[in-house]
Amino acid sequence: MGNLNVWAPRVLSLLRIAAALLFIEHGTMKLIHFPIAQPGAPTPLPTIELIAACLEIGGGVLLALGLFTRPVAFILAGEMAVAYFTAHFPQSPWPGVNQGGEAILYCWVFFYLVFAGGGAWSLDAAMVKRR
Amino acid sequence: MESLNTWAPRVLSLLRIVAALLFIENGTVKLFHFPVGEPGAPAALPMIDLIAGWLEFAGGILLALGVWTRPVAFILSGEMAVAYFMDHFPKSFWPIVNQGDNAILYCWVFFFLVFAGPGAWSLDAVLRRRP
Repeated sequence: MGNLNVWAPRVLSLLRIAAALLFIEHGTMKLIHFPIAQPGAPTPLPTIELIAACLEIGGGVLLALGLFTRPVAFILAGEMAVAYFTAHFPQSPWPGVNQGGEAILYCWVFFYLVFAGGGAWSLDAAMVKRR
Repeated sequence: MESLNTWAPRVLSLLRIVAALLFIENGTVKLFHFPVGEPGAPAALPMIDLIAGWLEFAGGILLALGVWTRPVAFILSGEMAVAYFMDHFPKSFWPIVNQGDNAILYCWVFFFLVFAGPGAWSLDAVLRRRP
């Protein structure tokens, strides 16, 4: 167990980076239709989706770099909670039916990052070391 | 920061429990058609879906309780990697197109649990306290 725990801060950084890269893709899909356009989204994006896309791209990039991890993760966790309760939950209380399971996972991963920080491999950690 | 770090093991347990409950639902959808049947799944479940369904159902329950967290999380992380590269990756390189981002997120969350353990609130932690 001891030597597994040693690696936890590094694997936390990998989880952070993987989640952030996936998250960026949600933003690029909404905003610049890359790699595909969001299925069923209206062409002039509603303001709420525009805000969501900017949060997902800007916040996702900061999170992938591990810069200001805790406040950024807090904002994104909040965004995902809003997304779940406005877009998914009204359809059904079951995540398996309302397809909001992914939003819940993002929400809790980001919420955990608020408390755990960015892990070993992050700009936050590099700046702390330099001080 | 310090006071946030104190809460990290507890929030880790919350993340573990939420991910496990969502994961159980993936299993019950396949095995018991609860709360809905898996869309597009054949009535007689293929062997590999049956294995996946039971791993998700049983492994998810163990993970929600926090019993044998590290080995269970290791197996489920592997299951999600197999699922991603068998089911999703052949369709497209981009997770948002191949719809595999959920599988990637589960894979990394579970992989992190292998190293971080179950957190503060788990049967593993209770058993360790009372040898």
